[in-house]
Amino acid sequence: MPRYALTINGTAKNVEAPAEMPLLWILRDFLGMTGTKYGCGVGICGACTVLQDGKAVRSCQVTASAAAGTRITTIEGLSPDRSHPCQRAWLQEDVAQCGFCQPGMIMSACSLLREKPSPSDADIDAALSENVCRCGSYPRIRKAVHLAARLGGAK
Amino acid sequence: MTTRRDFLKIAAISGTALVVPFHWAEAQDKTAEPFKPNAWVRIDPDGKIFLTVGKSEMGQGVRTSLPMILAEELDADWKKINLVQASPGPDFTRLWTGGSFSVSGSWKPLRTAGAAARAMLLGAAAARWSVPVSDLRTEAGMVRHSASGRSASYAELVADAAALPVPADPPLKKVTEFRLIGQPLKRIDGPSIVDGSAQFGTDVKVPGMRYASVVRCPVLGGRVKSFDSERALKVPGVRRVILISTGLAIVADNTWAAMQGREALDVVWDEGPYASFSSRTHLEVLDKATAQAGVLMRKDGEGLAALPKAAKRIEAKYVYPFYAHAPLETMNCTASVRDGACEIWVPTQAPNAVQTRVAELLKIEPAKVKVNVTLIGGGFGRRLHWDYALEAAELSAQLKEPVQILWTRSDDMKFGYFQAASVHLMQAGIDAENKPVVWGHKKVSSYHNARSRPTAEQKLDPEFNRGSAWGVYDVPYLVPAMEMSYVAVDTHVPIGPWRAVFSPSSTFARECFLDEIAHATERDPLQFRLDLLGEPFVFKAGGLTLDRSRMARVLELVRQKSGWDTPLPRGRGRGVACNIYDAETHVAFVAEVTARPDKTIRVDRVVCAIDCGVIINPLGIESQVESGVIWSLSSVLKDEITFAKGHVEQSSFGDFDVLRIDETPPRIETYLIPSHGEQPWGMGEPTVPPMVPALVNAIFSATGKRLRRIPIRASDLA
Repeated sequence: MPRYALTINGTAKNVEAPAEMPLLWILRDFLGMTGTKYGCGVGICGACTVLQDGKAVRSCQVTASAAAGTRITTIEGLSPDRSHPCQRAWLQEDVAQCGFCQPGMIMSACSLLREKPSPSDADIDAALSENVCRCGSYPRIRKAVHLAARLGGAK
Repeated sequence: MTTRRDFLKIAAISGTALVVPFHWAEAQDKTAEPFKPNAWVRIDPDGKIFLTVGKSEMGQGVRTSLPMILAEELDADWKKINLVQASPGPDFTRLWTGGSFSVSGSWKPLRTAGAAARAMLLGAAAARWSVPVSDLRTEAGMVRHSASGRSASYAELVADAAALPVPADPPLKKVTEFRLIGQPLKRIDGPSIVDGSAQFGTDVKVPGMRYASVVRCPVLGGRVKSFDSERALKVPGVRRVILISTGLAIVADNTWAAMQGREALDVVWDEGPYASFSSRTHLEVLDKATAQAGVLMRKDGEGLAALPKAAKRIEAKYVYPFYAHAPLETMNCTASVRDGACEIWVPTQAPNAVQTRVAELLKIEPAKVKVNVTLIGGGFGRRLHWDYALEAAELSAQLKEPVQILWTRSDDMKFGYFQAASVHLMQAGIDAENKPVVWGHKKVSSYHNARSRPTAEQKLDPEFNRGSAWGVYDVPYLVPAMEMSYVAVDTHVPIGPWRAVFSPSSTFARECFLDEIAHATERDPLQFRLDLLGEPFVFKAGGLTLDRSRMARVLELVRQKSGWDTPLPRGRGRGVACNIYDAETHVAFVAEVTARPDKTIRVDRVVCAIDCGVIINPLGIESQVESGVIWSLSSVLKDEITFAKGHVEQSSFGDFDVLRIDETPPRIETYLIPSHGEQPWGMGEPTVPPMVPALVNAIFSATGKRLRRIPIRASDLA
């Protein structure tokens, strides 16, 4: 089985995996990093969102070979202490209900803020429409993204 | 370590005078016993407070609201509490989360538990300082004696308190004395959710754990006829292919390998007796069944016999489809069966049921089944069943290894159980003064059958049928002649509880039909409802006691806050709907929509007024309003579950989509009747039923089109 040199949250991780194995499962099952979630496996629910070179991607659609040589950021890597503006904003607005979608949601929000440091409601809707929240926390997500922007979230 | 008992013994033997050490805390060492007056409260000698949560957290906030109740009566420091999730055992024999019942059912027991612990701590301090209890007060984990300025932390009093008898009926705080209850406290699990450390069922890792995926017959009710696992076993990481009760389990070293393994499995299915079932035909069957009499659930006055005498008659049929729960975390369970015992990690709403059923399956004592309840990534009633736990236990027993079964999204969509489809025959009679004088509602649907089936007797029992027809018989409105019936159509499709259960379909039909009557008699729909909520206010429907005046109060609030009486321009409309959920929580909605030129609907604003009795946490209530609104909007604006050739046609969020952020109304407003009374009412489900008719009524107001079937399609508005 081939070996891949991955960089996860700034740390080098060497994994032996089939070339087409999704990054999602490398993270969860090989590296034990369960913050990134499985929601559908076909790239349309956003639960598995991570950043690849700073942009949101669905890790269930990124293969091991495609992940190699890129910088991957997961929810665990946003900060050592929940101090990332998105995390602080999410807590301040008390966004989460069940919480399962939130890591993917937060990563999508991070990606948006890098691209648009002061997003409008329409920008937020467009960027996060790939992330399902079955609990309906969307109203607070909108508020949290605006707050994160004010807290300097474009990191 | 010298215990108090030892000390007394030594003192007695040596003949010295009995001296109770004054600074007992200093004599404590780390092996001293924690203070555990009941199953809910534990205070360690080092001061750590542990509050036990007896309900499963699935987003409704119970791991915050329930500890708030305990901490309130205990007067614990909210910032310093730790949570313990209850597990089935001698102290917890009926763990079960649902029915919007967590807060209201836990209210008295938790208050009593917290108050008992507090009473004992006060008693300990009173004895230590030789003062009456009435001179003491508690605050944030401290007991204080104002007169002398003395104080002691709960930690310092733990040993003395533990020696006191546990009061059975301790005094509870007055509602006016609450410090925590009523506060907008943030979710306790928030931090672990935002840093990814929160552990859901799928996140459980057990040493030596295998990962499994189960392939099931796509036709419901079918089973494996034959299979060839040769190709599957060649997939790297796949270890075994095992036939279990629910299908073929691919067991592998990681989830991906298990999922890949199923793609390489060759199976021949025995499709069973339901291979031609279609939901289209099923709905036709339901429609035809409206001609049957069914079981009479309620009759006031002459019932429908008064219909021929009415000056005008209106009749309409409402159609409601099957729906899936579609929580974001798919079904999963981790089980480890070994040495005649079993340990389970599972996101479940029914821990004791899981324990009992697994014990039965494995033929061991329930005490040998340890159930660890994880966070749930969406429950909505689906996780009341033990099916996905039972198959994991069965597989682990066969494997003789710990194993996690994770359902794929497609598995989750197609298997399990569904919200029942129903057809509602609505009839009304109006007199010469344009007043409704006859009301008829016949619901045709299917009983719950996934976890248990009704007996022949139950099927004929009006009370049992009422139990399957919430929102049909417990109508808040006063109409002199009323008749409500239920016609059951049996189905092999597994049917089970879905958020708000029997209420959403009934409330959709009822509140939309009421609107039809209002418009037919040229009445304002909101005022029309108020006029039907007159005296006598308090009345009985089945086993429920309802109070019309409470519903009226909530309608007045939503009228005021929504600006109902201010007309909207053409192309925009407002709709109102209301409901009393389980005779407890009263909810009214006004929805505001715009009909776009392309014949789609934009939901601009939703205004919600609620009476939930005592308010525990307004932040939590608001989030449940938003949650119920968005859940219901999904059921109107997105997708349904359909069956063709015996199988579910949908497999992902691609064909059973739910509302996304870009279709969420920019304004969802919550207005609460101020906290009142002595009892909080539930919020998990009550906001679901009235949202659907509020929207459908708003669509009528904006477009003139009366829709009697959901989900709506663009062609409905063309």
